[in-house]
Amino acid sequence: MAERLFELLFKYRPLVFIRGDLVFASPVPLGVVLGAGVVALALAAIAYHRRHATLRGRDRAVLLTLRVGVIALLVFCLSAPALRLSTVVPQQNVLGILVDDSRSMRVADQDGETRGTVAARAFAPDGAVMRALAERFRVRVFRFSESLERADSVGGLDFSGRRTDLAAALAAARRELSTVPLAGLVVVSDGADNAGGTLAEPLLALAADRIPVHTVGIGDERLDPDVELTRASVPRSVLQGAAVVAELSVRATGFGGRTVPLIVEDEGRIVSQTEIRLPDGGEPAIVRAHFVTSDPGPRRLRFSIPVQDGELLAENNTTEALLVVERRVERMLYFEGEPRFEVKFLRRAVADDDRLEVVTLLRTAEDKFLRLGVEDSTELQAGFPRTREELFRYRGLILGSVEASFFTHDQLQMLADFVSVRGGGLLALGGRHAFGAGGWTETPLADVLPVVVEPVATSDTGRFFAEVKVEPVPTSLEHPVLQLRSTPEASAARWDSLPALSLVNPVREAKPGASVLLTGTGPGGPYIVLAAQRYGRGRAIALTPQDSWIWQMHADIPLEDQTHETFWRQLLRYLVSDVPQPLTASLSADRVEPGQALTITAEVADSGYVRLNGAVVHATIVDPAGASQDVPLRWTVRRDGEYQATWTPSMPGIHEVRIAASQGNQPLGEWTTYVEAGDVGAEYFGAGLQEGTLRRVAEETGGRYYTPATLRTLPEDVSFTESGATVVEYRDLWDMPILLLLLVGLLSTEWSLRRRWGLA
Amino acid sequence: MRPVVLLPAICLLATGASVSHAQMQRRGLCEPPAVTPPGFAFYFTRAVYSDYARWGRPSWATDCPEADQHFVFGLKRLTNIDAFGLQHMVSLEDSALRNYPFLYAVEVGRMALTDTEAEGLRNYLLAGGFLVVDDFWGTREWANFAGEMERVLPEYPIVELPMDHPLLDTFYQIDTVLQVPNVRQGRWGGRTWEQDGYVPHLRGILDGEGRLLVLISWNSDLGDAWEWADDPYYPILYSNYAYRLGVNLVLYGMTH
Repeated sequence: MAERLFELLFKYRPLVFIRGDLVFASPVPLGVVLGAGVVALALAAIAYHRRHATLRGRDRAVLLTLRVGVIALLVFCLSAPALRLSTVVPQQNVLGILVDDSRSMRVADQDGETRGTVAARAFAPDGAVMRALAERFRVRVFRFSESLERADSVGGLDFSGRRTDLAAALAAARRELSTVPLAGLVVVSDGADNAGGTLAEPLLALAADRIPVHTVGIGDERLDPDVELTRASVPRSVLQGAAVVAELSVRATGFGGRTVPLIVEDEGRIVSQTEIRLPDGGEPAIVRAHFVTSDPGPRRLRFSIPVQDGELLAENNTTEALLVVERRVERMLYFEGEPRFEVKFLRRAVADDDRLEVVTLLRTAEDKFLRLGVEDSTELQAGFPRTREELFRYRGLILGSVEASFFTHDQLQMLADFVSVRGGGLLALGGRHAFGAGGWTETPLADVLPVVVEPVATSDTGRFFAEVKVEPVPTSLEHPVLQLRSTPEASAARWDSLPALSLVNPVREAKPGASVLLTGTGPGGPYIVLAAQRYGRGRAIALTPQDSWIWQMHADIPLEDQTHETFWRQLLRYLVSDVPQPLTASLSADRVEPGQALTITAEVADSGYVRLNGAVVHATIVDPAGASQDVPLRWTVRRDGEYQATWTPSMPGIHEVRIAASQGNQPLGEWTTYVEAGDVGAEYFGAGLQEGTLRRVAEETGGRYYTPATLRTLPEDVSFTESGATVVEYRDLWDMPILLLLLVGLLSTEWSLRRRWGLA
Repeated sequence: MRPVVLLPAICLLATGASVSHAQMQRRGLCEPPAVTPPGFAFYFTRAVYSDYARWGRPSWATDCPEADQHFVFGLKRLTNIDAFGLQHMVSLEDSALRNYPFLYAVEVGRMALTDTEAEGLRNYLLAGGFLVVDDFWGTREWANFAGEMERVLPEYPIVELPMDHPLLDTFYQIDTVLQVPNVRQGRWGGRTWEQDGYVPHLRGILDGEGRLLVLISWNSDLGDAWEWADDPYYPILYSNYAYRLGVNLVLYGMTH
């Protein structure tokens, strides 16, 4: 509407003004016209001054201003203003029309019609737009989804592409049309790019070539009504039997407040069903599903919400993720500085967990140690490890009630490196020699811990003691460590009923980046009971009570209760989750479409976790049919110890990726992971119109953004281009209706004022 | 009776009387201290239980508090355990029992548990508590104790502990099981047994997963050896052994 009004007043649409340069084409030199104008202004001023001397100064100024306006308008018109435009030579240029052929164009959000139908009608060969374009250009139609291909017409598309790669499509179109005079590109799409490619590169190239890309957005930004499980986030790998918390992003429109089941299936077997409340307004909300892993190996997890009545898109109610359930044994070292019952009950809690192995080193007297759970007589024979190689063998380290002065300076630094460099998990327990009481305040470990280690005042000779009621922080209730029962609600109730524990270390402040999971209320509180943070490559946790065994022994705890065991198993599993090995590897995605390239990245270090750049690294990929393929990985140079390769799966199914590294004849390690190739259904997620993306494409290349409703001006707009074979065209501005209206308006105003003031 | 025979007999009686007198003198009141501060890592906790009625102090209080105090003193000197230094006792009926995972019971030959005590002890042991039983002798007392244990843990038998059990090298390496005599016999240097308890035994009750719930020191008196360790007439051999075994028991109870 505004654009039409503009065109009515200014004769041309705004784009013409944007594209054109203002020039003056008067046959008389411009200086003469301006001079005449100045003279006319001077005469008018003199005349007003002499003839209307009785007028008040302000009135005279008003009349003079109106007259000046009239003269200025006349001078402007006499100067023959015009817009100089660069327009295409008819039929000399090619216009590329790129139509999105992906499955998201099947969404029927256009008054019951699909986006594809609307696109086909808008760009029908006999339609107004295509006819107008055909008059000016040689039109070439392309279809694009994963790749770009020529198409006869938009009507012939079946909208079956499984992925939209806008960046690749633009780059391919530029290449394809590089040998012809190209006036521009028109992209018809919902903008739902899901290939993860970066648009910056093709857009820069198109802008450099002055090829405008006009975009036509089709679809609604929000699907209404619809429920969408946008994203499932699960750990890459977990230990067998571990409790897993999957985080899912749910978006819903039109069903706000409705309670629906969230179902988790492990290879077709339902392992969890949770009632969730749907958000509203299309804003994403995070929901969590809890389940326990059972069988080892790669597990295909399916998360789904039943299709609700009237949903626009049913396919986005289901999403999948690949989880690798490991059978490995996590070996960790528990070093305790003094005999206490925490040793007995911690070992007892995890005794039945065949995935956790806690090697215990207990200082029973000065320079006397008790070793429990050691592999052979040499392990920890000399007490606490003195070399990095010896300490870094363990994936987790539990530090009990031991004073900092027990360790040498090198050992203290080694403890910090265990977390930051080796990437191990460190758990610091409360005790009379722990935290500030143990003199840990200004040690390297104080930086690692998730809590602020306050020094204990030297004048404070008394023993600090506080009984605290332990409470989970509400925002952490769904943390995997705190899952004492099968649902968060049941877990919360269990936490509420647990007996109090005792603190001998008053820890009150967490580090800025730490997550506080449990707090304790009691005299002088609140205190921090459990906090965790990432530090370097690893994780550090502080558990401040000295007697968690109370949760096993207390008279209020039924004999069959498994709270203590569950808590410790989950805590220790969390402690060592994601702990790297000397060789670790990752894939750019765990689920890809066949034919979609995948990046394999490996990080290689020696037994002391010093990164190696001269290693030989290769991946052996076993496809679902059992055939294997060797892919060498090369050092990236960007980072020490980082090796990469690109590989493209060709068949659907789960592929095993085994990566091995060696240096000379010395094997450095092996790593096995999995990737699933198949239909990832990317087109059904985030399928709303991505207007921002399409606008960006247009703006960065000098094009315009259209909708089906504004499409009628496209043929003319496309004509104003500097790309291809063009001619210069002048468009007069002196006869713009706005000028006539202004002139009449100024003269009328002057005349009526003069009448009012008795001058006419 | 000839005077030459009578004289030693009189001396013997006099010596016995003086020892008994000394024992009486050393025996303080077996009562909890005025203050038992919380927060220690270890409390040497004595089990308070019912017994067959008799004169004097009850069975559970034998050698208390000196044995307890002496042992804890030694324990703190020999190890770095943060132990409460005085006597500490809890009834088997008291729910607070579950807050002390190490329990010491003596003279269990005269134990006569009430149903509540039996249930309290059973729950304590199954929850993870560790009971050390000491100072009872002969087949008659054994039969009584075994009968009481049959009430507490009917599903688990009492077994002889092998000499390679980890308990015997937790802190000290113990290669033989000594019979530790009571103070009277220890001082006299004569026989070491009482009643018909000629051979000392270390026995135990293990749960279904092989965890030691109860350690039974039968035909031996560790408590007296702890209590009289500072007596120059009591053989150091026995005190030494009793302390070594006691330290091992505590450390085993805190780690296994």
